[in-house]
This record gives sequence, structure tokens and C-alpha cells, in this order.
Amino acid sequence: MDGSIKVNELVKTYKGEVKAVQGVSFEVKEGEFFAFLGPNGAGKSTTVQILTTLVKPTEGEILVGGINVKENPESVRRNIGVALQETGIDSVLTGRELIEMQARLFGFSKKEAKARAVELLNLVDLTGDADRPSGKYSGGMRRRLDLAMTLVHNPKILFLDEPTTGLDPMNRQAIWKEIKRLNKEEGTTIFLTTQYLEEADQLADRISIINEGKIVASGSAEELKRTLGFDAIQLTFENLEEADHASKVLDGLGENIEQTKHEVTIYTENGTKLLSELVRNLDEENLSPKTLNVKPPSLDDVFINVTHKKKERV
Amino acid sequence: MKSSFFLDTLIYSKRSIITILRNPFIFIPNLFISLFFLLVYEGGLSGISELPAFDGANYLAFILPVSIVSAAIGGAGGAGQALVNDLETGFFSRLLLTPSSRLAIVLGPIIAGMLQLLIQTILILIIAYFLGLEIAAGFGGILIVLLLTLGWGLAFAGYSVGIALRTKNAQSAQAGTFIFFPLIFLSTTFVPYELIEANWLKIATVINPTTYLFEAMRSVFIDGWEFWPLAKGFLVIALLCAVTITFSAISASKAVSAD
Repeated sequence: MDGSIKVNELVKTYKGEVKAVQGVSFEVKEGEFFAFLGPNGAGKSTTVQILTTLVKPTEGEILVGGINVKENPESVRRNIGVALQETGIDSVLTGRELIEMQARLFGFSKKEAKARAVELLNLVDLTGDADRPSGKYSGGMRRRLDLAMTLVHNPKILFLDEPTTGLDPMNRQAIWKEIKRLNKEEGTTIFLTTQYLEEADQLADRISIINEGKIVASGSAEELKRTLGFDAIQLTFENLEEADHASKVLDGLGENIEQTKHEVTIYTENGTKLLSELVRNLDEENLSPKTLNVKPPSLDDVFINVTHKKKERV
Repeated sequence: MKSSFFLDTLIYSKRSIITILRNPFIFIPNLFISLFFLLVYEGGLSGISELPAFDGANYLAFILPVSIVSAAIGGAGGAGQALVNDLETGFFSRLLLTPSSRLAIVLGPIIAGMLQLLIQTILILIIAYFLGLEIAAGFGGILIVLLLTLGWGLAFAGYSVGIALRTKNAQSAQAGTFIFFPLIFLSTTFVPYELIEANWLKIATVINPTTYLFEAMRSVFIDGWEFWPLAKGFLVIALLCAVTITFSAISASKAVSAD
């Protein structure tokens, strides 16, 4: 048992119809902080469910901690901790009871389970509320309890599916602090999916982006930004009409164009070179942007670019 | 099966029992309805036991099985409800992510439901005793009635758990419990078979497995030890259990493996 993940040509087909995952391969080293990103419906959740033994793969070899998930799911479960976005908590039991029960299910004796609960409640700062039914907890407290339950058996690999979605900044920070500590101090491998790209940018050693069931980009945040090789020219307009108009006029100028409300972004290999042509085009149509920025790409830009549907590309 | 199967089952059963105890509204309405049946039907209908078809039987003894069986259905249905609740909140996934026995996850609520049903039945019997119930088969008869109730409860728990794991949502599982009405009322619920007028109801009564359960219990309360009603009662329950437990086992293995 180690803390690595190896996925080779993973395919998942549901009932012979939808190919949710189409031949995905990647590797996560022991102690690595890995972020797995992708738009909704890209195959992200399915992949996580397969790696955590909840769903069986159709094809491919998947080793989690060196153990084959298909052949020996129970051993895999003993070695991983999973905080899925949709996992709930029994609202009748107290925080303490839930952690103790979880510990018992992982083979702790009654005494060990009690001791572990005290430790973990303290770790996630829930000692004061340990004996209240978890149904009375706030969203942030529940998420912290969920994390504590996930950590009961000191897993070597931690799967976190959007662990901070919907949390206030304070709870988000608390969760990140603990996850960072686990990764840095205890060498726990982290497999993270998140909607907040800046989280992945700051925390992850390596990132893979999945789109339409395939991996479309892999590397460190810096590498990804560099390989993108694009600059982003960002324009904002006074109103939606102008922005729409500008979108039409500038379409075809760069490699890719993206509009969100009043903001139009053009991705191009060399931003400064394109600038004069861009301004001329706008002038001809009597359009003047409120702001204009040329910047190197952010992880958001990488994400949008690699997950953008091909047909919308120029 | 791994070695911790019994321990896991114990842990899950304990959790389900705690859940029931902390939510008295899981069992109070159910017990209330059963006692309501007993008191209202006994109070309002007991006069009809003067009819010759009743053979001089006490109406309390005649109607008591209806009360016991309706309580059993409620108790056993709770097992399915508990699982639906876990499925809807996502707690079920969390349990699947532990290395615990898959079977134990499903058995826990069933065992808790059976315990609940046993206690309910004993309570109903005690109240019936104070209302003047005499059991022709004596103390051994009580054990037979408890055994029949448990068997029936298990069959219904199998059904409710199967429906729960298949539909995975509370409304559908709730709809599934409506089978309660034909099971309880399309039978010799209020009067013996000979007094049922409508032909369709006679046919339904013969098909309805509950009829054989009622008859078995009544034979113990009213006639003492008689072979055939008990044999038929236990046989019907065994068959039902075989069907519904197979159904729930198949549904459970689908729900936990998620292909």
C-alpha cells in the first residue's frame, strides 16, 4: 500500500449509451497534491466515484494505493478517505457518535473509537458541539464534521470533491489549513476537485483538466499557463449592446473569443501585436471600450480555452 | 463475507435503534393507529359476534390480529423509510465508502424494525389483556403470535427495503406502503369468510396472504392448538419471506454495486 494513484485507459459507459469517461489516463504520485478539474458533466464525478469504489469501471486498469479497485475494492476503502460533495450526515446522531461509529466501522475498538473522536473533534474545532445532534449544525460545521469522519482511519489518500463549495470564507480557510497540513506534514496524497480555480492554482502541485470524458490538459499551473501560449485581451463595455456588437466585429481576430455580459475576452498568441488592428476595427464601428487590458493567461483562461467547445473556436 | 459481519450488523442495528428512539414520531402514530383499530372496532362492532358464523368467539380475540398486523406493517415499513432517508441525504454513500459489510448496511434497519415491531406487539397484547382477552392456547400461544408477527414483519420489511433501494426516493417508497390497505382490508378483517357478501371480496380474501395470518392468530386466541390454520399461516409467511427477501437482496446488491 502506498499513496499513489494510477489510472490507465479508464472507460465508463452507462447502460451501453452514454460514454461518461472515454479513455482517461493519469498518475498521481505519493504525497502529491493533485487537482482534477472540468466543467459540469465532463466526467469528473464519475472518475472520482470509480476511484473511490462507488462505481465500477467499464474498462481500464485503476490502481489506488497500488491496489486494483475492481479486484479488491474493500482494501482500497481501508486506505482512502473520501469527502464527496453529496455525502450526507445522519442528522439524528451527534457529531461524537458519528465519528465513533465511523471509527468502529473501520475496525477501531470501542475505547480507541472514543479516543479518536475526542482527537478529531478537537482538530476540526467541534468539541463544544460534539454532543448536539448534527442536524442542528451549520453548513460549515457539518462540512468540518464530514472532514473529521473522513480522517478517522488516517487515510494515505484523500479524495475531496468540491470540499469548500458553498462555504463562508472562514470555514473555507479552516478546511484548507487542515488539508494543507495533512499534505505537507503527513504526506497525505490529495485528490481534489473544485470549482474555484484559484484554489487549484494556489494549492495543487499538478492539475489535470477533463472535458467531454477526455483529459485535455495536464501539468502544473505554471506549465498549463505557459503551454496555452496565449495572451488574453480583455475589454469591457458600457452596455450589453456594445459588448454584443464588439463580439461580432472582433470575431475571427484572435484564436478564440469569449463574452460574459459586458466583458469580451480575446485569446491570441501575441496580444500586443493584435492590439492596433483590434482598436482600428472597433473605431470603424464607433465602439469604444470602457477598459482594455492585455494580460498573460490565468488558470481560468486555460480552463475556458481547453474546455471550450471546438465549434465555437475560430 | 468478512469476519466483521456480525460486528458491523450490530453497529448498524444500534444506530437504527437510536434513530427510532430519538424520533418517537416514527413509532407513536403507528402504535396509535393500531390501538385505535382495536378499541374502535371492538367498541363498535363487537355486537356482531353474536351471529352464528362467529361460533361464539369473543370479538376482541377476532379483531386483535388486525391491530397486531397493522402495527407490524408500520414497524417493518420503517426499515425501508430509514434506508430511503439515508439514500436521499447521501449518508448511504458514506456507509458504502467504509470497508463494512454491505449486507450489514441493509440489515441494520431491518433488525431495528423487527425489534420495534416486537415491542409494539407485546404492548398491544398487554392492552388487549386488560380489555379482557383470553388466549385459548395459553402462554405458548403468545409465542406463536409473536413468531407469526415477526415472520410477517420480515416479509414486509423485505418488500419495503426492496422498494426503497429500487426507487431511492421517499415519495415512491411512501406510495409503496399503500399496499397496506388491500392487505389489511381485503380479507376476513371484520367478519368471518362466511359472512362476506360480495363475490369479488371473497376472491380477494382467498388470494390475500394476510387472511391466512389472521386465521392462524385467531385459531390460537379462540380455538387453542389447531394444526391446519397454523401450518397454513407459517407456510404463507415462509413463501412471502422467500419472495420479498430475494427481491430486497437483488435490489440491495444493485444499489451497492452501482454498475
